[in-house]
Amino acid sequence: MDLDIARDLPRPGFNFDNCKRNATLLKGGFKPPTTTKTGTTIVGIIFKDGVILGADTRATEGPIVSDKNCAKIHYLAKNIYCCGAGTAADTEMTTDLISSQLELHRLGTEREVRVVAANVMLKQMLFRYQGHISAALVLGGVDKTGPHIYSIHPHGSADKLPYATMGSGSLAAMSVFESRWRPDMSEEEGKKLVRDAIASGVFNDLGSGSNIDLCVIRKGSVEYLRNYELANKKGERKLDYRFKKGATPVLHTSVRDLIVNESVTVVPMETS
Amino acid sequence: MSNLGFQQFPEYQVPGVQQADFSPYESNGGSIVAIAGDDFVVIAADTRLSSGYNIHSRDQSKLFKLSDQTVLGSTGCWADTLSLTGLLKVRMQGYEHTHLRTMATDAVAQMLSITMYNRRFFPYYVSNILAGIDKDGKGVVYSYDPIGHCERAFYRAGGTAGTLLQPVLDNQIGHKNINLSSSELPKLTIERAVAIASDTFISAAERDIYTGDSVLINIITKDGIEEKKLQLRLD
Amino acid sequence: MDSGLDFTDTPVSTGTTIMAVEFDGGVVIGADSRTSSGAYVANRVTDKLTRITDKIYCCRSGSAADTQAIADIVAYSLNYYENQTNKDALVHEAASEFRNFCYNYRDSLLAGIIVAGYDEERGGQVYSIPLGGMLTREACTIGGSGSSFIYGFVREHYRQNMSKEECVDFVKKAVQHAIYHDGSSGGVVRIGIITKDGIERRLFYNTESGDPQVAGTASFIAAEQKMEA
Repeated sequence: MDLDIARDLPRPGFNFDNCKRNATLLKGGFKPPTTTKTGTTIVGIIFKDGVILGADTRATEGPIVSDKNCAKIHYLAKNIYCCGAGTAADTEMTTDLISSQLELHRLGTEREVRVVAANVMLKQMLFRYQGHISAALVLGGVDKTGPHIYSIHPHGSADKLPYATMGSGSLAAMSVFESRWRPDMSEEEGKKLVRDAIASGVFNDLGSGSNIDLCVIRKGSVEYLRNYELANKKGERKLDYRFKKGATPVLHTSVRDLIVNESVTVVPMETS
Repeated sequence: MSNLGFQQFPEYQVPGVQQADFSPYESNGGSIVAIAGDDFVVIAADTRLSSGYNIHSRDQSKLFKLSDQTVLGSTGCWADTLSLTGLLKVRMQGYEHTHLRTMATDAVAQMLSITMYNRRFFPYYVSNILAGIDKDGKGVVYSYDPIGHCERAFYRAGGTAGTLLQPVLDNQIGHKNINLSSSELPKLTIERAVAIASDTFISAAERDIYTGDSVLINIITKDGIEEKKLQLRLD
Repeated sequence: MDSGLDFTDTPVSTGTTIMAVEFDGGVVIGADSRTSSGAYVANRVTDKLTRITDKIYCCRSGSAADTQAIADIVAYSLNYYENQTNKDALVHEAASEFRNFCYNYRDSLLAGIIVAGYDEERGGQVYSIPLGGMLTREACTIGGSGSSFIYGFVREHYRQNMSKEECVDFVKKAVQHAIYHDGSSGGVVRIGIITKDGIERRLFYNTESGDPQVAGTASFIAAEQKMEA
């Protein structure tokens, strides 16, 4: 009896039944649905008292802007944030997952988590998925060992750097850093530099656009500057496009009565 | 395709290997809108020239003045646009010399169609919209597919944001899906046509990454062509 | 994109020059500092001399993700071993652990690794683990894409029983030649000297004077003024 039930249990682990079907569909010319890719500019630098992360706010689906003001700087821990480029779902889920693991780690160790810990968790996860998770990250934070910036690639390699850029606008942003970054910059200088790096991505890279987000992490304090600068003003339209009342035709109207009349007849129970 | 191409020998193909083929085409982006009225026609195009995620130029006019009464808007593969409009210019000049008059808009429209069909099996990869005043003095718009199919219309959107803008024009100019009596509908004046054309570009620049920087507007009447320019977003 | 610049989808690789030479009492290891992703230099100050234990280092070439992952695992396992046994790990033990990963996962890895270090049993040792996962001990070995340019140089100038400083000079010159000829190698030359006392690190800038050229520094401004004069 019991064995019969056990035999029907689904096998544990991943189910690859649909892979063959998808391959056949693809061969027949079927176009799979596209994912939201954030053709992005994300950056991070180390300055005198900590790190500054920066990001644009455009999300695209092919040539179309799918979100004009999305947030690409994700929370990992109180002292650690992470910018994400690549497939939107991948960067969000990866950072969310690592964020909760870091919180458990903090609770377990009763210490503020270190940026290296976040780096190792992220790179090990991305390596396990062999590049199939399209997340290109700029990780930044401050811990007891000081400020740190890491750039993490989708295949799971990580570089520890004083300044990093990622995404389709990374060349534009890096050119700003390579010419103007200096050790021990002040916070104001740093913010200006990160703003300019993102702005050069926003204006020169079609995959990046809209506004500029910043996140300043110092020892013991964080400042998340959402929409630090609205780099682009929306044009003002000349006409009013609100429709007059009655512009949409009513094809059919029916009114249903909500009051329901019920009647109950008592049938005596047979007790004999 | 060569009959000695690697496709002919599937058993020698290495799985996962991609054959790098030369592509003669490139999409350089850009959008066009044209709206014809009773005695005028408005044609507008943005000035961004790009490929992939790169901007080549923020100030490239995509409107070509073919005569005092005809303007062609052309986007797609910019190399093809240049080669096509160059050829049109030669033909217009040849016509002027042999017939001693300027080609009328409908004649230009027909010539453009034939010129494009000449390249039936290696087409100009362009989205063309021709705007002008016809021989009766009325505004008219012609739109084309890349191999020379020609359609006369009153309003038309083309280019990368063409699919975004056409329904707006259908609604605002063609009064489609709008249940109002003709007395309630606004009259199509030059001002209204220009306002709608520029408004559509403001909205297109919000959502299409290949449309932006600025929009050039040509207003064609029997008296000639008036040009206007409007700034769009730069990102 | 067609330009090979869409590096978010391109795996990162250390198109590299790496090198290691044994001398009496230790080893000298060297590497360039370029990490590229297609046509883009993802990191120009990379440290490819990766610590496994205090006295064992590895030089990484191939996929950055693969080599970092293996190095992290081996470093973890040798750290555990040293803690448990209270002894320094042997270079050969580290190398064979690397070999096990490189051989068992040879179909899915792109990793060419040189393991070098010092232990009390056999002194300075250099082990080479090329692509298929073979393990050999060598007195002098080179690796990475840049190495093919310097086989001649190494054959001509390598001598047995070179002193420490001779080795450093030899490695430095070899890597500099590779950087010059190989587009995937570049940046600075990093050198490590591992002896019974641990590692001593040296850095060589690829400038004419040998000084760093960091914009804004005094030496950079002086060089600029000299250029203008």
